[in-house]
Amino acid sequence: MKCDKFIEALGTRVKILEVTRQCEDQVTALVELNDLPEAVRFLYYDMGGYLTTMIPNDERSINKHYALYYAISMEGGKMFEGDEIAQDEKCFVTVKVLISPDSLTYPSVTPLVPACVWYEREAYDMFGLIAEGLPDKRRLVLSDDWPDNLFPLRKDAMDYRYRPDMKDHYMEPEYDFLKPEGSGIIDVPLGPLHITADEPGHFRLFCDGDTIIDADYRLFYQHRGMEKLAENRMNYDQMGYLAERVCGICGYAHAIACIEAAEKAINLEIPARAQAIRVICSEIERLHSHLLNIGLACEVTGNYNAFMHIFRIREYSMKLAELVTGGRKTYGNVVMGGLRRDITGVEIKESLRILQIIETQVDEVWDAVMDDKRQMSRWKGVGILDKQVARDFSPVGPNIRGSGIKRDTRYDHPYDFFKQIQFDVAVVEGGDVFAREMVRYMELKSSVSIIRQCFELMPQTAIIVDPTFHVKPENYALAYVEAPRGDNVHWIMQGSAQKVFRWRCRAATYNNWPSLRFQFRGNNLADAALIVCSLDPCYSCTERVTVVDIKSKKSKILTNADLKNFARTQKDSPLKDLR
Amino acid sequence: MMKLLDISKKYGEITHKYPFEPYKVSDNFRGKPAYIFDLCIGCAACGIACPSNAITVQFNDDKSKLVWEFDCGRCIFCGRCDEVCPTGAIKLSEEFELAVKFDKSALIQRGELDTQYCTTCNKPFSAKRLVKYSFECLSKANVSEKRLEEAKNYLCMCPTCKKTATVATFTSGKEMVIE
Repeated sequence: MKCDKFIEALGTRVKILEVTRQCEDQVTALVELNDLPEAVRFLYYDMGGYLTTMIPNDERSINKHYALYYAISMEGGKMFEGDEIAQDEKCFVTVKVLISPDSLTYPSVTPLVPACVWYEREAYDMFGLIAEGLPDKRRLVLSDDWPDNLFPLRKDAMDYRYRPDMKDHYMEPEYDFLKPEGSGIIDVPLGPLHITADEPGHFRLFCDGDTIIDADYRLFYQHRGMEKLAENRMNYDQMGYLAERVCGICGYAHAIACIEAAEKAINLEIPARAQAIRVICSEIERLHSHLLNIGLACEVTGNYNAFMHIFRIREYSMKLAELVTGGRKTYGNVVMGGLRRDITGVEIKESLRILQIIETQVDEVWDAVMDDKRQMSRWKGVGILDKQVARDFSPVGPNIRGSGIKRDTRYDHPYDFFKQIQFDVAVVEGGDVFAREMVRYMELKSSVSIIRQCFELMPQTAIIVDPTFHVKPENYALAYVEAPRGDNVHWIMQGSAQKVFRWRCRAATYNNWPSLRFQFRGNNLADAALIVCSLDPCYSCTERVTVVDIKSKKSKILTNADLKNFARTQKDSPLKDLR
Repeated sequence: MMKLLDISKKYGEITHKYPFEPYKVSDNFRGKPAYIFDLCIGCAACGIACPSNAITVQFNDDKSKLVWEFDCGRCIFCGRCDEVCPTGAIKLSEEFELAVKFDKSALIQRGELDTQYCTTCNKPFSAKRLVKYSFECLSKANVSEKRLEEAKNYLCMCPTCKKTATVATFTSGKEMVIE
């Protein structure tokens, strides 16, 4: 069966205590605590894996221990032609360890596999599990004024409605930014307040003149504690709707990932028509998300004309969503066992007409943008993500495909209807902003073709199975959906009484952030917003920026307009009177 | 650059005159749930189905009315209420202009239904309309006259009294024969 090969190979390196299989392509191997870094490193680098997610879990009520699950997607290193595992052998191998509640420590994997860094920092914030040897032990998720010994996701820590007293502001520890050493370095904070406010984030750009030498950032200003909420009071009917609200753009991908994780844990197969409609809706989401991002990549560089045209086309994709699901966003449709709303023949006919419009008009506008030399010069060679950095940090989506690595969940681990659909994975070499936008353009084309194929191949079956399933406590599974920004991975361990025991939701961008630092280095300050934008996390529209010159101790507050203006025209550097 | 201008010329004006002209939504649009008070029986099916607790059905303070309340600010327009409503009192409409100015209470819609009191202990337990609706359903269900009369009695009792009454009639041998 799938995965056995990897478990066997792992067995030659470390001692495996127990092997459990969750579903056809998911296996968990329990190893000893001290073997953890070697086991993960071996699977990651030697066997060709990428880190999908890591789940800390409080299992004291089950086996008197905390547990860590490192889920690794076995798909091949993909660094050169042929460095890939055969299609029918790709699978997920999870390395599990148990941590005693007396010691609360485990050996950190990060020195060997840098991709783990954020996960291990979060494990401390949420569970108080300490990674020995982790180079970066700062807080990640919780704010600085959060009480020291309160770890919110522990089962006995707090009620989900509890709001602890925050530390007084003078007690609040200073957050250490990773600063490069040297004279003449200017520290440019960017954020955390954004006008668009879809994802606030605080960036520290360390500049020499206008060149960014290094960057550090902190996010999670909008951590909403959804995991805790779902564990405490949601049933599976409600969870899908909550998962949708993780993101304003790729919400549908979150909803199906969440529900499919629950379905996989009990091996529930949904009807083919429901699978096809799930794929259609997630591809519609890709259409509007990629159009949004390409539009914004033009807007950040001052190309308003192209931005307006791309948003004009985007309106068609919103119309398409309205037609197929009844709302301009594809929300409120997914339930366990299938879907709630079918597509009629009339709607299919109209959808095909709209798809045709989108396809031709995207080509027209893209040709015009490609012809624009000034636009190209702003995109090319900016924000390069090196291939080796990408290998080390497991980024996802257009971010990694723009660096020439063929990683796409739809292709590596086909889910739902993707087993029957043919499409080409968009891979572009180069790793710069241009490559990432090119990937998005190619995916727009393939999405249109995928939706057409779904309409054609969709069988006439029911769209929901009779929900007579029984949820088994302590079963868990991983579900993965390729959202526009990369794969959204949800992990669900089921509990009793139709509730979840642990829900770990990992959004695509979570894997993309740690490598952003390397993308900033060596670029012009004016391109910072563009680089962040090309990741598609949010559009880094800062409300205001304070600039401090370390040497002269001069400071200056830049308005959003100043910085934006500089980003667009690259003239009149707002920092010039500081030098 | 010129190419983009050509495209603008080709497609002309594409903006809508909204709000001066109505904006047409597609046929199966999921807008604000429209509530028809006359059809509502106060069964609370929508309140149980609603995943975001936008709909609540509960007694008012002095329990003289059963209050159906819908908070549009919480609604996620999933349409579960529409699916479960037995009488079609709640249906998703095409209305999408939901903004209110400063007054959040304008988002709330209420319907007050008369309370049914228990004939034995006088405790309020349901809405009059629900009892009436249940009786109508039973009368259409090809049940004999005698049995219907008995059911009518039981319908107007609260669950606790119903239990006691059933046990009492059973044990005293007065229970009617099930035909």
